[in-house]
Amino acid sequence: MPVPQQLGRGDRMGRGPYEKSGIIEDTGLPPGKEVRERFDIFFPTEEVEDENGKWVTKPTASELDLEVKLWYLPFGTMNADPFLWDEFKQTVRISTTGK
Amino acid sequence: MKLAPLWVKLSAAAFVICAASPVFAEKAGIGWQEGIAAKSGKAKTMAELAKMYDSSSCIDCHQDTHNDWNKSIHARSIFGTSRTAATFKTAVINGLMEWPYSGVKKPEDVKVEHLMGCAKCHLPQLADAEDSVAKEIIATIDNWQDALKKKDNAKATAEADKLKGLNINCLICHNRNAITHKWTDGYPQAGVVYGSKDGDHPSDAFPKMKTSPIMSESIQCGQCHGLGPNMELDNPTQCCTSYGSYLWAYTAEGGSETCQDCHMKKSKLGHNMQSYRDPGMAKAAVEFKAEARAFHWRDGATIKPKAVVKVEMVNHAGHSIPDG
Repeated sequence: MPVPQQLGRGDRMGRGPYEKSGIIEDTGLPPGKEVRERFDIFFPTEEVEDENGKWVTKPTASELDLEVKLWYLPFGTMNADPFLWDEFKQTVRISTTGK
Repeated sequence: MKLAPLWVKLSAAAFVICAASPVFAEKAGIGWQEGIAAKSGKAKTMAELAKMYDSSSCIDCHQDTHNDWNKSIHARSIFGTSRTAATFKTAVINGLMEWPYSGVKKPEDVKVEHLMGCAKCHLPQLADAEDSVAKEIIATIDNWQDALKKKDNAKATAEADKLKGLNINCLICHNRNAITHKWTDGYPQAGVVYGSKDGDHPSDAFPKMKTSPIMSESIQCGQCHGLGPNMELDNPTQCCTSYGSYLWAYTAEGGSETCQDCHMKKSKLGHNMQSYRDPGMAKAAVEFKAEARAFHWRDGATIKPKAVVKVEMVNHAGHSIPDG
């Protein structure tokens, strides 16, 4: 979203329209341009002792339910009129065999 | 007793005549005196301002268009979803009353000029009113908020309805703001509906139709839907910035559609101009794709399985999303 400049000066963000003048940055979606985001999400793991008595890191699950939600927050917070623009859901799996 | 010379009497008479005529300063152009506001004189109350721009007679023949418009925020432009009205008040309390040179120490000090930072777009016709209307608007918002606090629903509804009575109706877009380049195309005239045709219009109040050269152009919407800071104000404000984004990030990159193309025609919403709150508009505006996979990632000797999600978004609107 656009980060409006307070009263057209300095490094402070303005809040109400009466003190907004200028834009410090804009993290919104520009027209006609593709915007890409990448998320790396680690599976939950735990430390377990293997058959040789060695402590190793093992995933606690082989499936992960993923949800990506594109929210528009008109007032900058989920507490005030959030709008769910689009969403994506998928369950991904890792193999349980192999070394 | 000595009689006053004749020229003194004539001067006094001239002063009285000037003082009694509509209170509008002289403007440079030709024909502005034939506009609705110049002919009416400045409104002294919210009711007078609503009457000055009363478009209720349009409903007789344009019921469907009225119904569409009535669903839009234009129909309650100073009330909005209630946040707009609240922000008018915040602008007074947190802005005007805090600034040392605004001349506002208390809400009752507010003048039309103080509210034009909001009203430039939310109620442009406020410029055709006296300061008493600015004070009445703020007092009405006060009354509405007070009634809400006291859980007096009947009073809250009545005050909200009073605020909703001032809005961006037919006459704002099809008359008052129908011409941007007034020295080129002439000032909007009272009794004329500006649109896409010239000719007679079967209405007692508005017997003529004239073509507005900008009615299907984006600049018509850009008058309010914002370039950035409103520099013409003594204390600039900034709200909507869609038109600035449209000019510099859309048309400058080859975009050719107008605001009306997407918000009225392709969407089939007509005068119910909407943005993301209409599911069709939201879907058309943003293409959203994602894909995900998982694999055993290895951090040195440690296995750390992870999922990778890749998201691609393309904004097909003619302006940044969101704006502001």
